[in-house]
Order: sequence, then structure tokens, then C-alpha cells
Amino acid sequence: MIMSENSANGISRFAVELGVAALTGVFGIAVCYGSLDIGAGWTDMGPDAGYFPFYIGLLIVLGSLANIAHAFFKHRGTGEVFLDGARTRVVASFLLPIAAFAGVSAWLGLYVGTALYIAATMLFQGRYKWWISLPAGLGVSIFFFIVFEIGFQVPLLKGPVEAWFGIY
Amino acid sequence: MENIGLLIDGFGHILSWNHILLMVVGVTLGILVGVLPGLGAPNGVSLLLPLTFSMDPISAIILLSCMYWGALFGGSTTSILFNIPGEPSSVATTFDGYPMAKAGHASRALTLAFVSAGLGALAGVVMITLLSGWVANFALKFSSPEYFAVYFLAFASFISMGAQSPFKTLVSMMLGFALASVGMDTISGNLRLTFDIPELIKGVSFLIAVMGLFGIGELLLTTEEGLRFEGIKARVRLSEIGRTLIEIPRYWLTIARSTIIGIWMGITPAGPTAASFMSYGVARRSARDNSMFGKGDPRGIVAPETADHSAGTSALLPMLALGVPGSATAAVMMGGLMIWGLTPGPMLFTDRPDFVWGLIASMYLGNVVAVFLVIATVPLYASILRVPFSIIGPIIVAVIFSGAYQVANSVSDIFMVIGFGLLGYVFKKLDYPLAPLVLAMVLGDKAEDAFRQSMLMSGGSLNIFWSNGLVSALMAVALALLLSPLAFLLIGSVRKRKNEVVAPGGDGSPAG
Amino acid sequence: MKKSVSIAAVVAAAVGLAAPASAFEPNRPVEFVVTAGPGGGTDIFARTIQAIIGKYELMKAPVVVTNKGSAGGAEGFVYTAGYKGDPCKLAFGTNNAYLLPVRAKVPYKSEDLTPVASLASDEFVLWVNGKADYATAADFVAKAKEGGLKIGGSQSKDADQILTSMINDAIGAKISYIPFKSGGEAAVQLAGEHLDANVNNPSENLGQWQAGMIKPLCVFKSAKFASDAKVAGDKAWSDIPTCKEAGIPIENYAMPRTVWLPAGVEHDVVQFYADVLRKVSETPEWEKYLADSSQSPGFVTGDELKAVIEKDGATVGEVLKREGWLAN
Repeated sequence: MIMSENSANGISRFAVELGVAALTGVFGIAVCYGSLDIGAGWTDMGPDAGYFPFYIGLLIVLGSLANIAHAFFKHRGTGEVFLDGARTRVVASFLLPIAAFAGVSAWLGLYVGTALYIAATMLFQGRYKWWISLPAGLGVSIFFFIVFEIGFQVPLLKGPVEAWFGIY
Repeated sequence: MENIGLLIDGFGHILSWNHILLMVVGVTLGILVGVLPGLGAPNGVSLLLPLTFSMDPISAIILLSCMYWGALFGGSTTSILFNIPGEPSSVATTFDGYPMAKAGHASRALTLAFVSAGLGALAGVVMITLLSGWVANFALKFSSPEYFAVYFLAFASFISMGAQSPFKTLVSMMLGFALASVGMDTISGNLRLTFDIPELIKGVSFLIAVMGLFGIGELLLTTEEGLRFEGIKARVRLSEIGRTLIEIPRYWLTIARSTIIGIWMGITPAGPTAASFMSYGVARRSARDNSMFGKGDPRGIVAPETADHSAGTSALLPMLALGVPGSATAAVMMGGLMIWGLTPGPMLFTDRPDFVWGLIASMYLGNVVAVFLVIATVPLYASILRVPFSIIGPIIVAVIFSGAYQVANSVSDIFMVIGFGLLGYVFKKLDYPLAPLVLAMVLGDKAEDAFRQSMLMSGGSLNIFWSNGLVSALMAVALALLLSPLAFLLIGSVRKRKNEVVAPGGDGSPAG
Repeated sequence: MKKSVSIAAVVAAAVGLAAPASAFEPNRPVEFVVTAGPGGGTDIFARTIQAIIGKYELMKAPVVVTNKGSAGGAEGFVYTAGYKGDPCKLAFGTNNAYLLPVRAKVPYKSEDLTPVASLASDEFVLWVNGKADYATAADFVAKAKEGGLKIGGSQSKDADQILTSMINDAIGAKISYIPFKSGGEAAVQLAGEHLDANVNNPSENLGQWQAGMIKPLCVFKSAKFASDAKVAGDKAWSDIPTCKEAGIPIENYAMPRTVWLPAGVEHDVVQFYADVLRKVSETPEWEKYLADSSQSPGFVTGDELKAVIEKDGATVGEVLKREGWLAN
């Protein structure tokens, strides 16, 4: 997502503007391509399934091109910083655990994922003692279980750990 | 006024401690499902449905409808506190509710939201009481071209020339339209833009998008600012609730206007979401000084909340009078009616007046109960904000993840939420507006369906949008609204050249 | 693939006669996957069964109902098919289970599902606006041949549009079809005189019929409805003539309410659920549900079910082919 064009004090806004506009542009091209596949014409019965998506895709591409041009005029060489080194670390310290949370949850289920994630963030980022963090993580997870599984009978994703306890 | 007499009879049917207790239970459960982003009123109502089989229909509908009111109220809470809309219809509340809470006025924002929501709902019920027969006939006049015109009007009234770059607005909006069209197309019955990815056939859920864009995106911004909620350190003061209550009458005009928009959108089943966006747009446009919109303007909370609830309430009228559900929750309740042995439809008013008027009476009472209950919870919510970010942040993430999973029991949605979170974060930092994206996502496919249905009806002729007085009037108003910013822009630029010396103001504190 | 399923079904039927029904019993919550949104016909179908199972304790394991109705129900079928061999996932649908893969590029095949039972069939009635000047189906046919009529229905290339196509074919007309998100929307559009007719199921239109906003012309069924209770004024369901005798030569068109397991489940699993569902279909609550929604009873399972599916698939497949709606 974030371009690797790092200047001395972090990622420049110009680079990110370009990167995002390029990404939206590629998305627009994909939308156009996908719509052509299903027919993007105007039939005697009105527009085909791909008619609106095609022009939407086209507008995304055009808008993205305009944004790229705009970035060159407005943000090039201004030295505007999107994210400096220290802040990048802070954001990453929040984002990476979330990604790990999602990964672990896909494998072990959301209850285990939630307990681990909350305990870990409290322990390592909140600098709470382990005997506060671990019960807190477990507690939130159990609370979720009671509310969702028992209270509202909406199942959350479960994995092998719950299966050992005979909970499916 | 025959209806008033019937209503009094209705009150006679429902006034008992048992029913009041059911209302409290219903509203409380509703608030809970409303607060949790993945659960919604349809979940709660479906869950309670089997419980109601052994109840008499009046008690059953009281329980279910009160749950619905509770969920509507609960949805606004997380919008204001965490920038996470619990229901699609409370997205517009985040625009000003969250900034106000962030500025330290969480109690004020919540109270404003709840009271105006309650007023909106009451206005909706009054309308049902007085105009039920007439409104049902009016709703019948609406067909696909009229629907399209209404959606178009909702867009036109919300979209205006903002401060942001027009191309960024364009890209953002078109992204919303594109995302809305993923999945099965109603008109052709074909899958589109799924690129043979099984996870995409169900489409991109609106809830996933807003949880990511607003919820995760905001958490990322907050983290970047330094790992705590910047500024939300309001102590709970009961006096602030009181002061806000006194402040409410000042917004009577906004409330009145939003009520009308809400009722209208509720009857023509464009729904509460369209109503809240439209009402927000209209409030911002018609404000003399709209510089505070988006930064915590009280009118920016009052307008969408009033419209949301008056629409949510009026949407029950088509359900009762015509047997058409105006929302997913209404659909579940209608299923309930059939199970209780009632046939939803026009005859319900004549066959079972005790039931219909009992329900209407319970709407009055239920909403009053709900407003009291939610206002009583304001101190509780506000105190959540005093929990350190290193605890509440991860808990919000966990709630969002479980909510994301529940939307469709799909693991891929969890990763999609993270994706949308990054998008929201980057877009916000680069001044891409998010609201057009969200609005396009909500109304995009409905508008397209209505357009293409109209085309099927007319055999491909666009003249159908000018074929009768109703649709022509709607289209004319929409076009006027759409073009008026251009006109204002021209006038404004002329004026600006004259008053070049006057410095732009508008970074003061919120009014009041 | 197809062959192995049919062998399994034969074996299942044979074992069902010999073995006690308790060979399999789910030991964890059973998920009822509803391939429609909350409140729709399929949703009420599944939830009624859930309630009856709970009331008579026909199954020890608890039942969880989830709605997966996106993409015309494909979401739910893809989800169920994904749990190959899982004995605790049941999909509830209609004939869309085996028609969707034929008409749209959905990521599952009908062989990815094992049919368990069909519990009822929902009928189709030809409805017109209450103020319409045609009194019989024959009048409607005459008008339809002049052209310009519009029928509205739920979804595209689904049951309603297929029936519309069959009507067009049978009477040689060109009635156009306008798809809506649900039968309810089509009902209101008809009541508001924006459409000329719809082919909704009885329960979808009863309310409007009672109010005189719309009226039925005929039912696409080989015999009239059995119920002669006066439901709408002095009219009963049994007063509606069959379409065949009224002038639209379509013998029978109904939508089965079906239950499916993923492919690859043991035959005693299929047998277990078929037994549970059979018991459900014998309760007074089930009878009441069918009567309230004017559906026809008919519990079908095993080989008989396979035959029904094949026959229905072939009939409808022909329509799809004629209209050029085949996806592959």
C-alpha cells in the first residue's frame, strides 16, 4: 500500500499521493475489464449488466489520472511528509498485531485470537503486568462467548482449541 | 378523528406492567445488538421470534418492535464514541458526532443524538396515527422510476462542492459505486465483478466497509497521534445532559425539516440510511454558517438522527398497511405476524384493530421508554472513554473483527476489514472524502436496479422519468439541488473577489 | 460424480429400511443455512422446522440458523458445499439449489450437494390488479397476445421469470418481465397498477387479495387448492381455477422446498436427517404452517426425490436453454 520511496524523514506525501492514485487507477481498469466481460452496452431493454460498472471504472481511471497530475502540481518537491520514521513505527506497532490477530483467528478461531491479541497488546504495549493482561484477554473472550454464542446464538469462528473442550 | 379514538383503545390494550416490562427488556436487548457492529436488529428479532410463538400477538409485537427501537438507538452510540457506525443508518451521525465527542463533549453528543432520535420517532408515529390511510395510498404511487428519482434526490442533496479536490471526491464516490455492484446483479441475474473469487459472490458488505473505513481507519489515526484518544477525557457531568436538553429547542427548524425528510423516505421505502444522509446534506446546505459541519456541529447530529428514526418508524406503516417490509427487520417481524396467525396487509387494520393500534400505541410508549433508557446509559458510555487506549483500542479491534465475521460468517471479511481500514486511514490523510464512497455504496445498487427496472418498463426510453407529475417533480428538485452548488459557486466566486480582504473564520469552538 | 451420488442414495434408502434410525446422531450444533434473507419464504420454512424440532426434541444437538441469501441464495449453497462431508450443515432452499449452477457462473455444482428431502411445494398463482377488467385467465391471454403487458417477480432468471417464459411460450405472447428484489415488491407494484400481473406464491399476496387490491386468475397446478375456507371475502383458495382449464396450457408448476447436505456425507447421516424431517412433516404444527402459507404437502426423499429433481431440472433446463440463459 505505502510506497517505499522514503526520504530522509519518512515517507513523502507526494509518493503516497502517486501510489494511491495509481492503485485506484488499477482498480478502475479492473472494473472496466470485469464489466466488458458481462456486456457493457445499451440494449433495447436499457443498460446491460456491465454498462454502469464500465463507465464507473472509466471515471475512476480518469479521476485517478487527474489526481496524479494534481499530485505533480501540488505535492512534488514540497517536502510534505506523509508519515515520519517515528510515527511509522507507532502505526506499525498497531497494525502488525491486528494483522497477526487476523491470521491467528483464521487458524485458531476468533475466541483464541481475541484472548491472545488483547493479552499481548496489554502486556507489550500497555505495559500491564501479565497477571492483569492474561485474565483480561481471557475475560473479553469469555464475555464475547457468552454474549454471542449463548445470548444471541450467533456462532463466531472456532478452531481446534475449542474442539478439545467439546465446543463447536 | 376516528384514529385518535382507536389509538386510545390501543393504549387500553397495552397499558399493563407486563407490557412495560417487555418494552424495557426489548429496548435493552436492542441497544445491545445495536451497539455491537456485527449484530443488527434483524439478528435480535430473529432470535426472539421463536420465544414469541407462545405469546399473544400484542405482547410479541411489543417485544420485537421495542428491540428494533433499541437497536436504532444503540447504533448511534458507537458512531459517536468510536466512529464505528453500528447500523448503516447511523453512518451520517459519525460526521459530527465523533468530532464532538473527540472535543470532549461525548455526553452532549449522545444526548443530542438520543433526544432528537426520540423526537423523530415520535413524529413518525404521530404521522402513522393521523395519516395511515392516506399514506398507504401515496406509497402505492411509487414505482421504479419514482424510486430512482428519490435515490437521485438523496445523492443530489448530499453531494456538494466540498473543500476537497473534486477529482478525489469523484474517485471516492465511484469506488463506492463499483463496490456496490460486486456480486449478483438483480436485473440480469448474473454475477459481476467477482473475478471468479468465491468470497466475492456475496458482494462487498457495506458493514465491512464502514467498520474498516471508519473504525479501523480511525484507530490507526488515533494511534499515529500518540496511542490515546486525543481529547476524549470528558468527565461525566449530569449537568451536561441537562444543559443539552435545554439546548434542543434551538434546533427546532433542523428537527422539523429532518422529520419531514425522514417520514417521506420511510414511506417510500428508500429507508433510514438514505434519509439520514439526505437530511444531513440538507442541514449543511441550508445552514447560514456551515463551517462547523464535519467538526462537531450539533445540527450535524440532530439532522441525521431525527431523520433516521422518523424514517425507521414510518417504514413500519407500509409494512402494516400494504404488507411490504420496508427493512430487513420489518421483514422478520412480518414473518412473525404470519406465524402468530395474522396476515400482514391492508385488512389488518379492519380485522385486528386491537393489534394494529396496540402496536401503534406501543410505539409511543416504547420510544419514550427507549429515550429514558439510553439517556440513563450516557454516563456509562462516557465512562468507557476513560479506559486507557491500550485497553479499549484492542477491545474495539476485537469487537470489529467479531462483527466483521458475523456479517456473513466469513473469514475473508476479517482481512477485508483490515484492507478497508488501511484505505480509510490513507484516504483520510490524503483528503479523500469518505462520505461519498459510503453513500454510493448504500444507494448505488438500489438506484441502478430502479433505473434498469424503469428501462425494462419503458422499453429503453428515458422519457419514463418525465412521464408523470410525481416523478417529474422529484427529478426537477433533484436536478435543481445538484446544479445549485455550481450556481452558488459562481455567485460565491464573484462575491469573494469583492470581499478579498475578509479573512476566513470558522475555527472557533462549537456553538453553544 | 453423479453416478456415485445416486448409488449413495440407493444405499441410503436400502439402509433406511434395514437399520435403526439412530445410527448417526449429531454431536455438535447443527447449522441450518438459509439460502434467503430473513423473513422470506425459505427463512420461515427453516425456522418453522427449527421450532418444531425444538418442541418435539427430535434432535439432541442444538440448531443454529444462519441467513446466507446473497446472490440469489448461491452464497448459502457455496458455503454448504464448502463443508464437504460435514454432517452438521444443512442448506434450506428451493429448486434454486440445482438451477443456480445451470444459469449463473456460481462457484459450486449441484453435485456438490446431497439432497436430503423436499418437504412441501409452494404454488404459483397468476394475479392481476383488483381493478383490472379481465375476469378470467382467458381474457388475460387475449390481452397478452396484443402485447405490452408486464409481469413482475422476484429475482432474475429464477422461478418467476421461468414461469413467465413458460406462459409466453404456451400462449404465444411476449409479456415482458421485470425483476425485483422480492415477491413482496412485485406485489406492491401490482397493487399500485405499475405492473399488469405477477405470479407470486399464495402467501405473498394474500393480504392484498383480502383488501381487493389484486385478484387471482388461476393457479399453475394440476388440481385446484383443497382449502375451501373463505379467506378473501366470499372467496376461498379452492375457488381459483387451474390455469390449464382457464386457458393457459401449463399443467403444473411448483417450487419445492428442499433441504440439502454437503456432498460426501455418509448415507446414515442423510437417513438421519430425512427421518427427522419426516417426523417434522407429520406434526400438526407443520400442517398449520402449510395451511397458513397455502403450500401443498408432500414429503419426498431418497430415490423419489432424485427423480423429482431430475424431472424438474429437465423441464426448467429446457426453458433456460430456449431463453439462452445457460451459463456454461
